[in-house]
Parts: sequence; C-alpha cells; structure tokens
Amino acid sequence: MIEIKNLKKVYNGAIVVNVPALQINNGESIGLVGNNGAGKTTLFRMILDLIRPESGEVLSKGENVAGGESWKSYTASYLDEGFLIDYLTPEEYLYFIGGLHGQNKAQVDEKLAGLAEFFNGEIIKKGKYIRDLSKGNQCKVGVGACLLQQPELLMLDEPFANIDPSTQFRLKNILKDQNKNHGVTTIVSSHDLNHVTDVCDRILLMEKGVVIKDIATSSSTLSELEEYFGVGQNTSTFTVDKEEKH
Amino acid sequence: MITTFFNHELKSFWRSKNTGKSVAIKVVMGVLILILLLYVLAFGVFLDIILKKMFPAENLTVTFCGIILVYFLSDLLMRMQLQELPTLKVQPYLHLPVKRNSVVGYLALTSLLSFFNLWPIILFGPFILKVIVSAAGGGVAAVFMIAIIALAIFNNYLALYIKRKANLNGWIFLMAGGILALITCGDYLWHLYSFKSLSYLFFGNLILKPYLVALPLILAAGMFYINFYYLKGNLYLEELSSKKEAAKSSTEIPFLGRFGQVGDLVANEVKLILRNKRPRSALIMGLFFMFYGLIFYTNPKMGEGFKVFVGMFMTGIFIINYGQFMFSWQASHFDGILVSKVKFTDFLKAKYLLFTIVSTVAFILTTPYVYFGWRTVLIHFVMYLWNLGINTTIVLYFANRNYKRIDLSKGASFNWEGVGASQLLLSFPLILLPYLIYLPFKFLGYTDAGLAVLAVTGVVFIITRDFWIKKLEGDFYNKRYQIAEGFRNK
Repeated sequence: MIEIKNLKKVYNGAIVVNVPALQINNGESIGLVGNNGAGKTTLFRMILDLIRPESGEVLSKGENVAGGESWKSYTASYLDEGFLIDYLTPEEYLYFIGGLHGQNKAQVDEKLAGLAEFFNGEIIKKGKYIRDLSKGNQCKVGVGACLLQQPELLMLDEPFANIDPSTQFRLKNILKDQNKNHGVTTIVSSHDLNHVTDVCDRILLMEKGVVIKDIATSSSTLSELEEYFGVGQNTSTFTVDKEEKH
Repeated sequence: MITTFFNHELKSFWRSKNTGKSVAIKVVMGVLILILLLYVLAFGVFLDIILKKMFPAENLTVTFCGIILVYFLSDLLMRMQLQELPTLKVQPYLHLPVKRNSVVGYLALTSLLSFFNLWPIILFGPFILKVIVSAAGGGVAAVFMIAIIALAIFNNYLALYIKRKANLNGWIFLMAGGILALITCGDYLWHLYSFKSLSYLFFGNLILKPYLVALPLILAAGMFYINFYYLKGNLYLEELSSKKEAAKSSTEIPFLGRFGQVGDLVANEVKLILRNKRPRSALIMGLFFMFYGLIFYTNPKMGEGFKVFVGMFMTGIFIINYGQFMFSWQASHFDGILVSKVKFTDFLKAKYLLFTIVSTVAFILTTPYVYFGWRTVLIHFVMYLWNLGINTTIVLYFANRNYKRIDLSKGASFNWEGVGASQLLLSFPLILLPYLIYLPFKFLGYTDAGLAVLAVTGVVFIITRDFWIKKLEGDFYNKRYQIAEGFRNK
C-alpha cells in the first residue's frame, strides 16, 4: 500500500525524519509510537504530501504521492483541527465531504446513522459550528468524516488524545472493525501504549526521526514498549514485576 | 504587579503576528501610522484656519469651544463600532495567585492604550497651544487640555462599558445606539437643543472659572470606577469574551447546487464570509464602496478617466478587498483542503465563480448611477468585464504567493494580520493596468476606442479562462508546500 524510500526531512539543520525504507502492506494495521518530537506527525504529513521532503519519496499503491491526485480518493486522514472547516456546522461539513466522494445527502445520512453511537448525540443537530465544539468532539467529526469516505487507507494522528473513555473504547472497536472486516489499512499514532497494542498488529517505534523498532504485536509487545518508554528508573521496578508475574 | 502586566503587554505587542515578523513590514507599518498621525496633526495645527474659513462670522475661541462636545459625540459613535475590548488577554492570570484588583486594574488601564485616546490630544492640542495660550494664558490652556483628556477617558470607558454590557445582551447595543441617534437628531434634526451651545456653555465658562475642570474629571473617574467594579464582578471568561452564543443552523444555497462540486466550494466560501468577522467586514466595506461614485461623479471637474477608476473599484471592490488575502482566509483548514479530494482546478473555478457572482451583484447595485448618464453605466460595465477577466486572474496569481495565516475571528479594523509584500505588489497592476491601456487612447482623443479595448481585453481573458486556470494550477503545485507551511505557522 505505502512504500517509503530514503525519506528525509530537515528543519533548521536538524534531521526530524529519516526513514531509509519502509513498506506498509495492504490490510495492515500500523501503530506509530514515539515521544514528542520523534517525527510522527512530520512522517504523517509527508505521506499526505503536505510537506516537501528533503529527499526520498512516498509511494502509495506504487504512485508517488507528491503532486499526485489519485491517492486522495482512497485515503482518509485526520491529523488535527486544521483538517476541519471550522465555520461550518458538523452536518454541513460531513455533507460536503460526502459530496466530494459522490455521495448524496441520503447516502451520507445513512452512513451517519451507523456512526450514531460513536457520535454519542453530541455532534449532529446541536446548533453549533465546528469551531464551537470541544476538541474531543472536533476529533469525532474528523474521524467521522474519514469513515464517511470509506477509505482503503485510514490515517489518524493521536485520535485518542482528547476523547472520553467511552469514545476511546468505541473508536478502538471501529478501527478493529475497519481493519479486520473491511480490509482497511490503518495507520494510527498514539501516546497510549495500551491502545496501540490493542488495536494494531504492527508497531513502529520512532526516536529522533528514525524508526528504531518494527515489531509485530504479540503478548510481550506492551511490556517491551513500556520498557523502552520507562527510561531508567522504571526499568528496574519493571523487571521485578515481570519476575513476580512468572 | 501591574508593571509586570505592562511588560507582558509590550511583549505581546512586539511578538504578535499582527505586528509582523520582518523588519520591512514593521517599517512600512510605522510609516503608515506616522503618515496617519501627521495628517491628524496637520489638521490640528491648521484647525484655527479651518475654523475661520468655516465660521468666518464667529469668534475663533467661541467656535472652538462649540465643536469640542460635538467631536466627542461622534468619537463615542466611532468607539462603539471600532474600539476592541481588551479582554481574553487576562485568561492566563485568572487562575494564578494574583489579586483580582490588579487584574481588573490592568484590564481597565490597558484599554487606555488605544489610538482613540490619542486623537483628541493631537487634534485639539495644537489649537490650545496656538490660540488659547495667547488668548487666555497658560493656566487656562492647561485646564482645557485636562478637560479634553478627561472627556476622552470618559468616552473610552463609557464605550467599553456599553460594549461589555452588549456582550451579555445584544439589545443594549441597539438601545445605546438608538439613544445616541436620538441625541443627535434632537440637535440637528429637531433643533430641541444645540450641542454647540452646550459645549460653549461649559468650555466658555471654563475660561472664566477654571475650577469647572473638576466636572469632566469627576465624570472620567466615575466612569472608570463603574467599569472597574463591573469588571470585578464579572471576571468570568464567558462574560469577558466577545462572543455571544446562539444556536447555529445549517444552511443551503440552492442556487449554487447547479454548479456541482464547484458550487459546493463556493457555498462553503460564502459561509466563510458570512460567519466570520473579518471577511464579513471586508464584504460590508465593499457595500460602502458603492457610494464611491457619489464623491467623484458629483464633482464636474472629474473627467471620464476617473469613471474608469471608480467603475473598476465599485464593481470589483470585493475582488480587490477580499481577493488580496486569498488563500489566507482558508489558512486554518488548508491542510484539510490539500488532502481532500478537491481538485485544485475546481478550487480555482470556485474562486472565479464567487468573484463573478459578487461582482455581478455589485454591477447591478451601481446601475442607479445611470442618473449621471448612460455612458457611466457603460463604463461600469466595461470595467466589470475587466474585473472578471483580468483582476480576478491577477488576484489569484498573487494568492499563490501569499503565505500568511489569518485568524478569521479577529475584526478588520487596525488588523495587520496577513498583510505582507504581496498585497502591496498586487495593488500596482490592479491600479495601473487599466490606465496603461486607456490613457494612450484618451490622449489621442479616441476615448471610445480605449473603452472598447478595455472591454475586449476583459472578454478575451474571460474566454481563455481555462488556460489561465491551468497556468495558475501549475504555479500552485510549485508553491503549495510553502503556502501550507506558512498557513500552519500560527
């Protein structure tokens, strides 16, 4: 689905992303983790052709995304509020997005009915512009707009960050369902290790712009990641835990 | 504590995006403000001569005393419309162990840092120095100055108080506006009383009894404290903020439905304009420009050359006024546009369609100028074609070179956000090009031919629009990363 070759991005002399080679196959569910400044969002933006890489390229279905238009028809993404037209009401925005994909209002309404549980009655017909919604609800609109497009590739940047626990739970189910039952390739970044290991089959760990670990999720993945992020002081207590468990 | 606040305030001014990052913009801004101040200053310095010309029969001091209150009445009206509330800036301090009195005091004091408070001093100061000092002595002049400053402060707090009240209840603003209108009508329409004589009553007596200066001082101090206590009692974010919540509804513009995806994009942009403060004021300003012709056409000295200019502005003001900041209006969701399935060709076509619709409406609105002859309407129509053909393309060409983000929620007055070199450069071809074509014909005596060439050029550009869209699209693909990055820079 996605192939990255020699991708490099430099800001003010510092390399923020440096991925020599990365292959993401059709139907995979990728979890992207890493501390702040690891280059997750920058990588996302380069895959979406929003920033120009210093060198290298991103191929989507074998086609270079830079300057291309075809990937837009099967890729849905929500990185931040900058993806939403904030002076529209959620309905107007969703109809607009649906319209771009050739869906009429009735079709959009039908799809939205399926998202009613996810929206939890806080989005549709609330008499608010998107800019007046809370960050969590804006995220719901963004994710909802993504699902509306019935994408083959779904990219979400920290979708769990602002939403409430119930919605987190629902979103996880939606992501699993999209991946397992609809064959959607998902790329999700998150700071919550529990969420990513739960949802994703393959975890990419980034540090200073480099993918330092590429692991298939197994029962030990969570502890492996916790060990990495536990930097120093927690590692010792952690090993003790491990021994106690066994 | 308040000094720390002022320190922060200064930093926020110099570091804000409005002020502009580059030195060049700061210099241009400084020069523009200086020119504006100089104009007012010149007006102030020559006020005695102007007053003498206007009221040759009256004594100079009497006239001067008469106009002061009239000025402050109009000042209040202006403030109510233009002066911004110094509000949410206190948010970061509310949860800190800072005394409420200092926060409120800071809020109240910073509101004095407004240009509106400078005008009366620059305007009346020179006159007081030139005339009052020589006529009544330095003491009286000082008292005059104090009275004027006190009245400015009174106006400042009265306007802010009304605006704050109006935030909670929109009717208050209408009521205040109505009362001001009644007061004005009472003087100028119904002649129940005269502001001029009222003003003279006070300021004339001030010369004889300087202690009367206490009156404006008391008024100013009273208004300050009313404001102070009102703020102190209502120091909550929702009450400070300048937005009132009302249920928003989804709307559709059926007329645009027939244009398909391009129509959808135009509908979104129409909503952008109507639902955000700054683009809305750009549109409203455009409506005022419809009266532009009255200034020029009523003056017989202005020849037909001016009609070309005025006609272009009246039918194309929206293209110029709104278009100069494209695509900054959409800066906040530009990433979303780039990754969405919107083709840039459609994006551009939507801009052309929007310009066409608004310019057509503007042209229709200017048809009453037929009063000045059919030829006037003909010139307007020629310039309407010119606007649709050439100015739209010029504006969109410069839009590809505009990397500045605009915060839609801020008002338009004194807002420098998004202003850069591209707006300045843009104005040259906009203003010069039609004359480059028209003037040679005019000097040769073939004005009709000049107009015809303008019209034909416009039509040729409209017919070849697809070609220009292709060109603009190619240009955009080279610049889009830079544009998107600039827009991401908050």
